[in-house]
Parts: sequence; structure tokens; C-alpha cells
Amino acid sequence: MTAQSDPARPRPLRVVGGDRYANWEAVYQDNATWVYRTIFARVGNRADAEDLTAEVFLAALRPLRLTASIGEVRGYLRATARTVLAAHWRATLGHEITSIDDIEAPPEHEEAVSTAPQRVAELLDALPDQYRRILELRFLQSRSIKESAADMRVSIANAKVLQHRALRLAAQVNDAARFNDAAHINDEDKP
Amino acid sequence: MNPRGLRRYIDDLLADRRPAAFRPDDFEAAQIRTAIDLQAATPGAGAPRPEFLADLHRQLADQLDDASPKPSARPSATRRQVIVGTSAAAAAAVAAVSVDRLVMRGENHTGDDGDLAPNAGSWQRVAASSDVPDGAMHPFDLGSVIGFVRRVDGKPEAVSGVCSHQGCRLWFDGPDDRLRCPCHSTSFAPTGQVLTHQLPIAPKPLPALQVREVNGVIEVLAPQPDQPT
Repeated sequence: MTAQSDPARPRPLRVVGGDRYANWEAVYQDNATWVYRTIFARVGNRADAEDLTAEVFLAALRPLRLTASIGEVRGYLRATARTVLAAHWRATLGHEITSIDDIEAPPEHEEAVSTAPQRVAELLDALPDQYRRILELRFLQSRSIKESAADMRVSIANAKVLQHRALRLAAQVNDAARFNDAAHINDEDKP
Repeated sequence: MNPRGLRRYIDDLLADRRPAAFRPDDFEAAQIRTAIDLQAATPGAGAPRPEFLADLHRQLADQLDDASPKPSARPSATRRQVIVGTSAAAAAAVAAVSVDRLVMRGENHTGDDGDLAPNAGSWQRVAASSDVPDGAMHPFDLGSVIGFVRRVDGKPEAVSGVCSHQGCRLWFDGPDDRLRCPCHSTSFAPTGQVLTHQLPIAPKPLPALQVREVNGVIEVLAPQPDQPT
């Protein structure tokens, strides 16, 4: 009597479904971009995003079990990215500036990768014109301080002050819940 | 407060340089958070460079295709990289364990008692009938399968001898009549049911193995050993 001919045979030892990765390269190819973008949206610069993405994959791939489903692998990569990002903030600024939160959406979906565009659009809407303009020029359009000053017809020194104040006000709006005691409001925005 | 540190950090972000570490206060941290949001909302930002993806692919291939699991000795690594890297690896190990658990739950969706049977197996001798009197727990190790066999009302029954949590090998605690895991204090009844555990999620019961008694020999259905017979 062999196992194959046994009709009462319970489930087999190995289940190989279609929703699994064949090897680590498939894991990497399929997930590198969203992992990088998730991190970039939380550090805002290429150098840190590249370092941390490399750290995630170097840490995650060796212990990874390929028997895990694709969804589980992605959840695991997001969890690893969360830990790597938290360690980065502890090591550099001592504040958890940003985090990778638990969310319902699958990690590769846009709402999981970054909600910055929607939040920034709302934020800019709430700012006075000059402040919105300087932030758009400097950040969203990546213009130099000199170009921005020329565009806004102000001096370079003025453009710097505008940028400084705009970011302070934007941070207050952004973190309204956290800074609603007004402790910082207006302390430097006097003429 | 550290206005110079903040200014430099923002300038670095805008110039896409690696920002230098400093100790911001809460409000400075909020400004950095907002600046990062603004950077992330920049159209086209956030896509990885193809050269970066290719480089990392090579680095991973070097690490993973190296059969000997020696600690990664990157000579260029700075102390901070090593420390951060180590903590990430530790975190990943924890995450791997939780994936492990998910996998185990997933495998039991059939809702049966978790019987294990090999795709390509054969009946293999684990004991002589006389070795397994009533009430005894007889360990066996076939290489491919480790387990315990015992008699229930004269009929042989077998369970896996590998903890369903992380795969540690179980030992039989005769006086307490239970299988114990040396790794995380989990214990199982001889039937495979979990008796005690200290894990956040209860481990699965031990899978039962198919067992039969033929001509004075107790056999378990198990995968063929690696060596040709």
C-alpha cells in the first residue's frame, strides 16, 4: 500500500499554492518599489530612503519562509520596514518623526504607501497665499531660494524668512491636535 | 531648541542631501514632519532609481547565495550601520516568527485535526509491538519524521514530536504525562492537544501521524528517507 493509493489520505505535508513566491528574487522584484516608496514618503530624501530600503531587504530576506503567502510576505516586509524606520529616527533625531502604521489596506496599495499628497493639498489650502506659494516653489517644484524669490518678487532674505515662517505655520496646522495649546503660535511671527 | 540644526536639516532635505542628525524639540520635529510630507508630495518623488534597485539586487545576491551563514562582514560598514543593521535583523527575526504563526494557522484551514500525511511516503517501522505496552509513550525518529507512538485501547496512535510553535523537539515528561517543549515552556497532551503555553497566540495541537500495526510491528506513514533504500 502506498500513500498515493490511499483514498483516506489527509492533507499532504507540503502545500504549494499559486499565491507564493518562487524565490527571494521574486520577493525582491515584486516588492522593492513599494517598500522604497513607503520609506521615502516618511524620510523625504533619497539617501535615507535607499539606505533604509536596503536594510529592510538585507534583514528580511534571509529568515523569510517562502511557504508564506504573498500577502504574508508583504505584511512581513512592512513590519520590517516599520522597525527599521523607528530605529532610524531613534538614531538620528530622537523623535519618532514618522511611522509606518497598521492599516487595513494591503501594503502595496497607494493609501498604505503614502497619504502625503492628499494631506499636503489640504494643508496648503489652509495657508495664506504667500506661505502657500513659497512652500509650493521650494518643495513641490524644487526651485532654489533665488528662483523662488524672483518668482515671488521678493528679496532672497525675504524668501528665506517666508519659507521659515510658512513651514512653522504649516507644522502648526499639520500637528494641530498636538500643538493646539498655541504655545508656539505667534512667538516668532511678530513683525 | 536647535534652530541651526533644523535649518540645516530642511536645507538638506530640499537639496536631496542626507540630512545630518541633531536633537530637535517637539516643534522642530513637527516642522521636519511637515517638510517630509511636502517632499513626499512632490510630483515624481519617491520612485526608486533603477541603479539603486540593481545595486541592492546584487548586494542581496551576494548575501543570500553565500551558503555559509557567516555574519555579514561588510568592511565598509560604519559602527552605526552595524548597530542599526543588527537591531533590524533582530526585529526581522521576530517578524519571521509571526509570519510562521500565520502560516501555521493558514495550513489548518481545513478544520481537521491536523493529520499529517506525506505526498510520497511509505509505511516505516517505528517500534516492535512489544515495545509499546499500554500507557507507554514510545519516541521514534525516522529522519524525515520525529514523533511518539502509544496505545489507546490497544490501538496504536502517533503524534508529531516537533513543537507546532517553532519546531523545537519535544520530550516526554512521564510523571506529568505530557510532551514538553524546551524552547517556550509549551506542553502538549499525549493526544497532541495544547495543555499549557506562554505564547501570545496558542500554538496548534500536534499533528497526528498515520500509524498501523502489522505482524508485530508498528509502522508510521512517513516520507522516504533521503538515501535510496
